[in-house]
Amino acid sequence: MLDRQNYLKVKLFLKFSRDVRGRSSVQISNDFEHLKALLIWAGSQPFGSVPTINTSLPDFLFQKGENGLDQAELQNILNTNQSFFLWVKAMFPVEFQNVRLNWIMKISAIMEGKEVII
Amino acid sequence: MSENQNTSNCRISRNVLIKAPGLLPMLYTPREIAEDLDVPETTLRDWLNHGAPHSRDESNHIWIDGKQFAAWVDNQRNARKKPTYQLQAGEGFCMHCNTIVTIQNGEIHPVKGHLSHLKGKCPICGGIVNRGIWNAGSSELPQG
Repeated sequence: MLDRQNYLKVKLFLKFSRDVRGRSSVQISNDFEHLKALLIWAGSQPFGSVPTINTSLPDFLFQKGENGLDQAELQNILNTNQSFFLWVKAMFPVEFQNVRLNWIMKISAIMEGKEVII
Repeated sequence: MSENQNTSNCRISRNVLIKAPGLLPMLYTPREIAEDLDVPETTLRDWLNHGAPHSRDESNHIWIDGKQFAAWVDNQRNARKKPTYQLQAGEGFCMHCNTIVTIQNGEIHPVKGHLSHLKGKCPICGGIVNRGIWNAGSSELPQG
């Protein structure tokens, strides 16, 4: 079972994206699909403690990518997840004090590194 | 927690059929699942009354497991599909009796290419029964 608080934070982020950033319903729908990967990766762990998960998010997505996701789609997913973590850290600084900024910035940077290796 | 056991078929829109497999393995409230599937909450509560899987906690709040609900939606789609029956050689559908019958005194007439026309009589009402057949052979003709 997934952590419900994680799901509620994702929903809050999508509401913020729609109301404040003015993203369209199609973009919101895409963002939600991207963030579903994050929810599945985190599983029952709260987002505040995800840096302790052994498999990194890019590695998790990279394994999924071998089953049909292309490189551009993977990069889009990572970018959405990165902007989500930046937002959630700003909104809930105490809860997300263990999620370091350099860890967040690595989310999409690692993927770019993998592209070079391939 | 308690489960609702009442079961019956519900009409599920195509939009829900597409979106339901994307539900996550977690407990949703009826409002959340209605938002995710883009259906009115009243419709969702109607489905719950018609046997959609859900449970209630000690405070009597309704919780819906996303994966179980997606499986239920899939079952509803399959339940509404009409059972199909492949006509055997020499069989046809009598429009008068509204049933599948074995065609009597069947004659095969070539139409075009591999397509042929099997025409015979219904053993029940004696009316004419027609059937189009592909790659007609002698096995298409009923015995007797």
